[in-house]
Amino acid sequence: MDITLNEEQDLIASTALAFSQEHAPPATVRELETTENGFDPTVWKKMVEMGWPAAALPERYGGAGLGLMELSLIIEALGQASLPCPLFSTVIEAGLLLVDAADEAQKSHWLSRITAGEALLTVAMLEESGRMAPEDIALKLTPRGDTLVLQGTKLFVRDAGVADAIICVARSGQSPSDLSLVLVPADTPGIRRARMTAAGGEALWQVAFNEVSLPGHAMVGRLNAAWQPLQNMIARGAALKAAELTGIGQAALDLTVNYARQRIQFDRPIGSFQGVQHHCAEMARDLAVTRLLARQAAARIDSARDARREVSIAKAKASEAIPALTRTAHQIHGAVGYYRDYPLELAYHRAIAAAASYGTAADHRRALAQLLRDDPRAFRGENP
Amino acid sequence: MQFEFTDDQKRFRAEVRDFLRRELTPEVWAQHRDTGEQGMWSVPFTKAFRRKLGAAGYIGMGWPTEYGGGGRSRIYQAIFWDEMEYARAPGLDRSITYVPNTLLAFGSHAQKEALLPRVVRGELAWFVGYSEPEAGSDLANVRTRAVDDGDSFIVTGQKAFSSDAHMADYSLVLARTDPGSSRHRGLTLMIVDMTSPGVNISRHPTLAGWTHHAVYFDGVRVPKSMVLGEVNEGWKVVMGAIDFERAALASHGLVAFQLDRLLEWTQLGSDQGSPPIQEPTVQDELVRLAIESEGARLTTYWLASLHAKGLMPQHETSLAVLVKRETARRLDSSGLEMLGPFGPLRHGSPAAQLEGDVELEYRDRLYFHFAAGGFDITRNVIALRGLGLPR
Repeated sequence: MDITLNEEQDLIASTALAFSQEHAPPATVRELETTENGFDPTVWKKMVEMGWPAAALPERYGGAGLGLMELSLIIEALGQASLPCPLFSTVIEAGLLLVDAADEAQKSHWLSRITAGEALLTVAMLEESGRMAPEDIALKLTPRGDTLVLQGTKLFVRDAGVADAIICVARSGQSPSDLSLVLVPADTPGIRRARMTAAGGEALWQVAFNEVSLPGHAMVGRLNAAWQPLQNMIARGAALKAAELTGIGQAALDLTVNYARQRIQFDRPIGSFQGVQHHCAEMARDLAVTRLLARQAAARIDSARDARREVSIAKAKASEAIPALTRTAHQIHGAVGYYRDYPLELAYHRAIAAAASYGTAADHRRALAQLLRDDPRAFRGENP
Repeated sequence: MQFEFTDDQKRFRAEVRDFLRRELTPEVWAQHRDTGEQGMWSVPFTKAFRRKLGAAGYIGMGWPTEYGGGGRSRIYQAIFWDEMEYARAPGLDRSITYVPNTLLAFGSHAQKEALLPRVVRGELAWFVGYSEPEAGSDLANVRTRAVDDGDSFIVTGQKAFSSDAHMADYSLVLARTDPGSSRHRGLTLMIVDMTSPGVNISRHPTLAGWTHHAVYFDGVRVPKSMVLGEVNEGWKVVMGAIDFERAALASHGLVAFQLDRLLEWTQLGSDQGSPPIQEPTVQDELVRLAIESEGARLTTYWLASLHAKGLMPQHETSLAVLVKRETARRLDSSGLEMLGPFGPLRHGSPAAQLEGDVELEYRDRLYFHFAAGGFDITRNVIALRGLGLPR
């Protein structure tokens, strides 16, 4: 037991933060929010040079073989700086899903390209319900001879405007978990994309697949075997969204404390008022707890043990606490924070986007209640 | 980062748990439980039990071996505190936590040599004489005087809100040694033998049923060799001691116990009707409590990790205590609510659930709001020392 960062992790965290803050002046971030793809390819290229997309991928494909824990430190830094990039779609979703599910040929083709910065990938899972439940996946996969045909519409697909390929989650059988993965190159005929616009500026897309035909080898993993690797992906996504929320919370707290130190009213800094101090103390309290829970979730996934409890606790706490923290930050800033050119709004909007992604607080509390009913020992954290 | 306990740490936890289960049997509970005492155990049993803890090597295991300590990592100490709280065991108070930690940090060689081995054997009970009628949250307002008289100080004054003073062998007393001084300057911390002539104690019943004390010092002679730290530098010692104090208060065991007890009770329920856990609202509250409890567990071991690394956490300690105590209070109030009409029933009442403990603890733990730096003072510490906000 040692819940502090080791030297290597400390270095990763501080390097990632320094890089992210250098490359994300608020004006630049706001500018990127108005663009179709939402990020700056030249900055992404530098991230590739820093080795970020390679960090958590296997060494065999040019990766660094680090854990989700280390990746979560990078995501936390990106969240703190509000720096947009396709790391989530390409690595946390698609890349690690391929590690879990793909055959050797697919892995060596795509993962080596990801680590080299030569490919961007994404995963298309959610549909009109917006839920991650397997029974809500309706996009249909129909085998026709040696051809796979996809029909249906996906929502909330990250970076679909730039991804070289989309890993599409498709229904391939009657039972709720009869799902399969199909890797669809971006230029395949029959794909139509429409940009969704959301708070926080993330490049999310609606992607319609209309009679999209692919060769049999586009299947990732076996037929009807996608649910297990998808559950792993969902756990990773939730854990790292909790890490992102931690960074967002840190940014809001830092801005607030600085403002409270400098803003003079009634002839004194407002940070000397106990009402303001107690708000700030509560923000610091909730942030510290969220950070510990988020890091535990990532570490638990790395340990390859059952992580349902730790992940849901982290995401439930982060999704509730961090948006609340940003509201308190605005309370202390007053009207200044309400202006578009003040950077607090970046945290305010990103907090609700990250809170809504990979399960809301209520979704994760529901999952924990399920665990309480089904497996009280696991609920209490007693499972080996 | 390593969130798992090592095999040896797990073994140690199991060993402590076994020890407590063997010692605190239902018969022992029935015989020695005493809600008239702050620790909810009779004074003789508390003192005897502390000697057993000493004999088992559980006191001072995180201290250097020089004065009888165990020289083990602070993680082990945190595990021990955890299990003691979980078992609601007697004797886990200042006498084996922050008083000796303060002695270690600030005591003279002679003081350490004379007192620490006795602490480690579980022989000594302490009370801490900081607060006074006019010096609570504003501790620098101390009025107790210590007048220089050759190789002694003569102490006169009144201490208030003093826990366990009636069973104490020694006390740490904060007194003003520089008569011309004000606020935090000119204060000295000294070790006072409670059998000294001139020490008198009065009792004040609390809402929870046990008695708090006021302690009167009427010309009590204290040898200068019993000054802790430097004369007129008592404030520095006290502030250091308060960080130790808060660290000892941040254990997670209490919260874990409360949650487990509620989980069990809601699954069994009262004699009437269906188990409460079938209610979705009860499930959701239990889930929320489990989330907060896990947060408290991690802050406890985060703090222990910082100590284990040899760092001296300050505001981090306050944060961990705040999280633990707020979580415990939420469990108190949610527990009371889940018990429904049975919640307010007291021990001994017909149909009382969980022996009326939930109501008793709801009353008892009111002190979490104000004692040893209450919720608001703790927020001040986080804001001023942690975040660097201006005074």
